[in-house]
Amino acid sequence: MAGLKLADITMKYGSLVALNNISFECHEGEFFTLFGPSGAGKTTTLELVAGIKKPTKGEIFIGERRVNDLTPDRRDVAMVFENYALYPHFTVYENVAFPLTSSRRKEKLTPSQKRERVDEITTLLGIHELLDRKPQQLSGGQKQRVSLARAMVRRPEAYLLDEPIAHLDAQLKVSARSTLKQFAHQRGTTILYVTHNYREALGLSDRILALRKGNIEQIGTPEEIYESPASDFVARLMGDPPINLVDVEIVSENGKVFFQADRDFRFPMRQGLLPKLEGISWEEDGKRVVRIGVRPKHVRVSLQKLSDASFQLPVYVAVREAEGNTITFELTNSFFLAKVDSSVHPEVGENVWVEIDQDNLYLFRKSVELTK
Amino acid sequence: MSTVEAKYVWKIYDEDVIAVKDASFRCENEEFVAVLGPSGCGKSSILRMIAGLEDITKGEMFFDGKVVNNLSPRDRNVALAFESYALYPPLSVYENIAFPLHARGLDKNEIRSKVQDIVDALELSDVLKRKPSKLSGGQQQRVSLARALVRDPSVLLLDEPLSHMDQRVRAVIRARIRRIHDELSTTTIYVTHDQEEAVALADKIIVMNLGVIQQIGTADDLFNYPSTQFVAGFIGEPSMNFLGGRVESQNRLAVRNGDKSVSWAIAEDIPSSHINTGVVVGIRPDKLEASKTSTSSGIRAKVDVVEFLGDYRILTLSLGEKVIKTIVPTDFSVSIDDTLWLTGLPEAIHVFEEKSGEALIKAKK
Repeated sequence: MAGLKLADITMKYGSLVALNNISFECHEGEFFTLFGPSGAGKTTTLELVAGIKKPTKGEIFIGERRVNDLTPDRRDVAMVFENYALYPHFTVYENVAFPLTSSRRKEKLTPSQKRERVDEITTLLGIHELLDRKPQQLSGGQKQRVSLARAMVRRPEAYLLDEPIAHLDAQLKVSARSTLKQFAHQRGTTILYVTHNYREALGLSDRILALRKGNIEQIGTPEEIYESPASDFVARLMGDPPINLVDVEIVSENGKVFFQADRDFRFPMRQGLLPKLEGISWEEDGKRVVRIGVRPKHVRVSLQKLSDASFQLPVYVAVREAEGNTITFELTNSFFLAKVDSSVHPEVGENVWVEIDQDNLYLFRKSVELTK
Repeated sequence: MSTVEAKYVWKIYDEDVIAVKDASFRCENEEFVAVLGPSGCGKSSILRMIAGLEDITKGEMFFDGKVVNNLSPRDRNVALAFESYALYPPLSVYENIAFPLHARGLDKNEIRSKVQDIVDALELSDVLKRKPSKLSGGQQQRVSLARALVRDPSVLLLDEPLSHMDQRVRAVIRARIRRIHDELSTTTIYVTHDQEEAVALADKIIVMNLGVIQQIGTADDLFNYPSTQFVAGFIGEPSMNFLGGRVESQNRLAVRNGDKSVSWAIAEDIPSSHINTGVVVGIRPDKLEASKTSTSSGIRAKVDVVEFLGDYRILTLSLGEKVIKTIVPTDFSVSIDDTLWLTGLPEAIHVFEEKSGEALIKAKK
């Protein structure tokens, strides 16, 4: 195993800049995730490490080796794509052993060594008793673990995984996630992982790199990324339903400061927030404006007035979730969602009281456009 | 507006492939009904038989009490939207929506006023002149919905509408679809494999597996009173845990814990005829109480994986050969290889018959 290092990497396709001078390090044994929406440059980054593409500028290291000039097969990394179908006429054993028989392999294994490798990985993934079966005799979850075993049977310096479980059903995804994480932990593998799914990014990673149009937006542990997002861009990629972002005017009245958006969306600012507005808020049409972020679970909704900081809004719609309800309100420039328990189920158009938990309020500069 | 009722409906392909087996259900007027199940469960065959795109092999389909088996899709006045029903790229949003009305030979003014009503309801007035390629995914779906709704169908059929949407916009689109239904009150039948989607949108959910209806109920019914082990495992994420067990007495279970077993209390009585029989014990991941010290009722399990998911952590534990998942708050400190003792909350324990998978308690008939 080895760590990976990218130094001042720029990647251009013609005039399009896919990666804009990025540098980061994935330590040996680390599960490191490149996270962002499509077009962020995640797959390009992976392809550069694999050697499928050459960077316009910058250096790539695998361990101590500078690999810029090495062909893919000499870099000793294993790349796994989203789509890895099994060979239907091969048994599970033959499917998993296949990468070990490739004629291009530098490392020649004896049949018994091969057997050992396959035994080890399939035992770890809990599919050892299935070795003689054909793919069509397997359940969806078993097939997925066979694919994973085939990808992992090699022992490269690092694994490069591009959305390896994105195509699975929701429930299989949950089990695939924990299988993958357990594998990484037990083997101490270096993994560079690409996903646009925040649950995978949070659940799997030691650290996450949030990419935005070829630029690094933030690098941190899952806890850091979730609890302290560096920007409105990062914040709204995390969570389902996602965080509410609202641009509010900062209004001073009789020595009190209010946040206000629309006529009814208005509440007094909690003490202590004022200094934080400095350098974040901006001027717009002669008004002082800041972007607030509040997660739906930090919004309270009630038929009764909750406090002096609560305000009334008409319900746009109430939707049932597995646990509790999501109440949606319509503001001029965005929707505003509250996650409440199932006892709160107001009618469409009904006026309810809304209170925002300001201990869990984020303040952002404006870096993404809000849409409805 | 219509009621839709299926009575003992079968769909058999090539004489021996049974896609739908003896399905009976009823969608009330103005109701929002989801047909939910994994791929190959027969849900699309149901949708196509309602639409009239597929013959009914056996049984009858009723709209407002009248048999429609032999009516063409057009005469049933159903509308299909989404996924495979793409918009016409060269036409503007307005032209796309007006298209079904032109096809019916309505006059210009009538068309204009009908389109206006529907685009107001769906908040599309600002984009009427645009081409579909200039719209966001959410807008395209609303146009598709507008085109389906503009002809005032008796029944609206939605096919996997949100499955490929970015999750960032999904919550908002869900809210919009539900709001549109609440405003226009069209009887709506929605086919999906996504249980989260079905729970969020539907008044009533029909759960299917292998061509057979497993249960029909509200989201609460399915979540709290699943009538079979299949439904219990399909609804909820992460899935319900299933453990081996035996009925000790009407209100106690012996739950297998390696070579031994522990005794769990249950809140509802099991029929006495099941005492001493083997059962499957079901417990949702968030209904397990985790203790770091040994407890007499706790099953002993080793932590293999800890996943931080923002609002909570999911733990994957091994219990001999078995894998079990539990949800703990983010401030519950735990590391890999720790041992925990887990006890099911008595009022949240489900018990299923071993062979048939049918619920012995907490079942809504």
